Parts: sequence; C-alpha cells; structure tokens
Amino acid sequence: MYLALFLAPWILMYSLSTLAMNHRKSLQAWFGEAPPAFEKEREVDIAPGLFSAQADAKENAKRLLQTLDMDGMHGVPKSGPKKLVVVRQYAAAPVRVTYTPESGKAVIEKQPSSFHLFLERMHRRRGYQHPYGTDQVWAFSVDLVVVVIVFWVLSGLWMWWELKATRVLGALSAAAGLGLFAWLVSIL
Amino acid sequence: MTFNHFTRRLHLYLGMGLLPWFFMYGISSYVFNHGQYFEEQFKARGVPLWKTRFEKPYDVPVPEGKELKELGARIMKDSGIEGSFGTYRQNENQINVYAHTFWWSTQIKYFVKEKKLVAEDRAFRWDHFLTGMHARGGFDQDSALSDLWAVLIDLVCAGMLLWIASGLYMWWKITPVRGWGWLALLSGLATFGIFLWRL
Repeated sequence: MYLALFLAPWILMYSLSTLAMNHRKSLQAWFGEAPPAFEKEREVDIAPGLFSAQADAKENAKRLLQTLDMDGMHGVPKSGPKKLVVVRQYAAAPVRVTYTPESGKAVIEKQPSSFHLFLERMHRRRGYQHPYGTDQVWAFSVDLVVVVIVFWVLSGLWMWWELKATRVLGALSAAAGLGLFAWLVSIL
Repeated sequence: MTFNHFTRRLHLYLGMGLLPWFFMYGISSYVFNHGQYFEEQFKARGVPLWKTRFEKPYDVPVPEGKELKELGARIMKDSGIEGSFGTYRQNENQINVYAHTFWWSTQIKYFVKEKKLVAEDRAFRWDHFLTGMHARGGFDQDSALSDLWAVLIDLVCAGMLLWIASGLYMWWKITPVRGWGWLALLSGLATFGIFLWRL
C-alpha cells in the first residue's frame, strides 16, 4: 500500500500519457500536427576558444551546455563548422541552443509548454544510456515501477484467492481477460 | 451493497480482467528501460536484423504532401503483404511502408527515381515482440480489431486511474495507516516534483 501511494504520481503520469498517445490523432487535430515552434528567450556571448579543434560534436555540445549552466540530457540535431544546434531535453519543455562560431553567440529558444507533449516526453524518458545522475535515478524509478506492477499482479492474484466470496466471479473476469488478450495477440 | 464494498469489488474484478495487459506493460517497460542490454545481446548473436524478401521494378505516382496512406495501401497490396501499416516519406526519393503484426514486421522501401521496390523482413526478437505490443495503440488503422485493442488500452488507462482513486479511498478508510500513508504519498509527490525540476 505504501509503495502504491509513493508511486501514485508515476502511475498517474503513465496512465494519462498512454491516453494522450492512444488519442494522438484527435489531439493533433485539436492542437495542430506540428509541435509548438521554439520561441527566442535570450542570446548569450560565448568566449572564443570554447571548443578544441579535436573535439567532436558530442563533446562540443556538452561543453556548450556546461558553459550555459544547462548540462543534462540532450540531442545534437545539427552540427557543422558553421552551426551547432543542441536540444536540451528538460522535463517541462525542450530548450534549443543554436551556436554560430562566426557571431560568437548562442541563441536560446524554448518550446512553449504543451501538456500532452509533456506527458509523452515523460512517458518516453527511460534507460541508463545518459551519463547524468538524475536520469540514472529516473531510470531506476522506472525499474521500481516495473517491479511494483509485477508485484501488484501477483499480490492481486493472491488477495483474490484469499477472498473466497470473489473466487468464481474473479476467475471469470480473469479468464475473459486472458482469453481476449490471447485472441488479440494471436491475430493482430 | 455499500459504496465501500462496491469500490473494493470493482477494484478487484477490473484488476483480474485487465491482468494480462498490466503484466505485459510491466514486463515490456523493463525491456524498454534496458534497451541497450537487449540490443547488445542480439548483436552478439551475429544474426542480421533485416533480410531481403524481394526486390522488383515498380512504378506508381507519389502524391505531394503528407497524406500517403492510399499509396501505402497500394504498395502493401502489390507486395501481397497484409497487416497494420504506416507510410513515411524517408526523403524525396524514398517512401517507406512499415507493415507489422505482433509477430512479424516488414519494411517495404519504394525508391522513386530508381523505380524499385525492396521488401525486408525483420528477424523475430522477443524484446521487439514485447515492446511492439507495448507501443501499439491509436485509432488510425482501418481495422476493427486494431480499434478494439485501442479501446482496451483506454480501458486499461481508466482502470489505472480508478485503481489510484479507489486505492486512495481504501487507504483513507483504514484509519491506523493514515499517518504512514501520508508520508508515502507526500514523499512520492516530492520525489516526482524534484525529477520534474532537475531532469
């Protein structure tokens, strides 16, 4: 029970985000197909010599984010001698940093918040591949949700078996669910 | 039947009926969270992920814009492949049709300039089977059974929301555990809030 209460925000997020993804077409028809355009927040001067000639785009992106005090999970959609684009995947909304060595400036743009896109981003956030402590702990929390879900399934079965009054109807519910699931998995 | 009794029974029977989905989402989430491990395991086997099924000359007009569903359906039919599918413009010269069931998936690539159609089958992998089931959803396929699957996903979500609500209600009804329950609930909310702030 206590674990369920602790993990209630995760379960709430996963159920709402699954609903949002299951009805993505309707939400796109409502809010538009393309995600909201990035809006400029500020421009920052970057001191020359930030990047070494030997560094690759990944290293440069990390240095740029560290300089801006924005280090964390990110992607590098564009990199070249004339432009480096880094998208910092904040939980609330992504922030895009575009650095042009010629001007020595980094333009910082934020994507306006959108609740269904926020839910979808949180739903998809997972894995231990990002070398950031918070992301590692988040991935661990996802594992914890998995363990708890499996535990709920098993403990639910045990509790059902213990309640003699519900055995028949419970067994019928389980058999109907299992039958429907197996049938759909075999033909879909 | 009292409200308390009704809540407990609904909690139980819904849980029993949706058990396979809940179990599948749990196990497949583990596979998603440890994707790199499963990828390395597959690579170690040295089996190619994609295997060419056929390559043949092909020529159909490609519509402008994003609406490629009809073209995808035609390519599927001409390839003799049935199943759910999605059609994507890979680039100006290439249209990809991704056809799949829970058990197999095939990608059909139409190279417009070369007037060529290439179909490739993906090797069966249990991790992909589970993640494919997890990721399947939506009402955009012209198939009543796919729609039924999507309706069941809605039901699973409604079930989860109901479990949260009925779980909170049942916790509140057990007076001796209220204090520790508050502690667990507030710690969970605070931890989740910290993640939103720091991620």
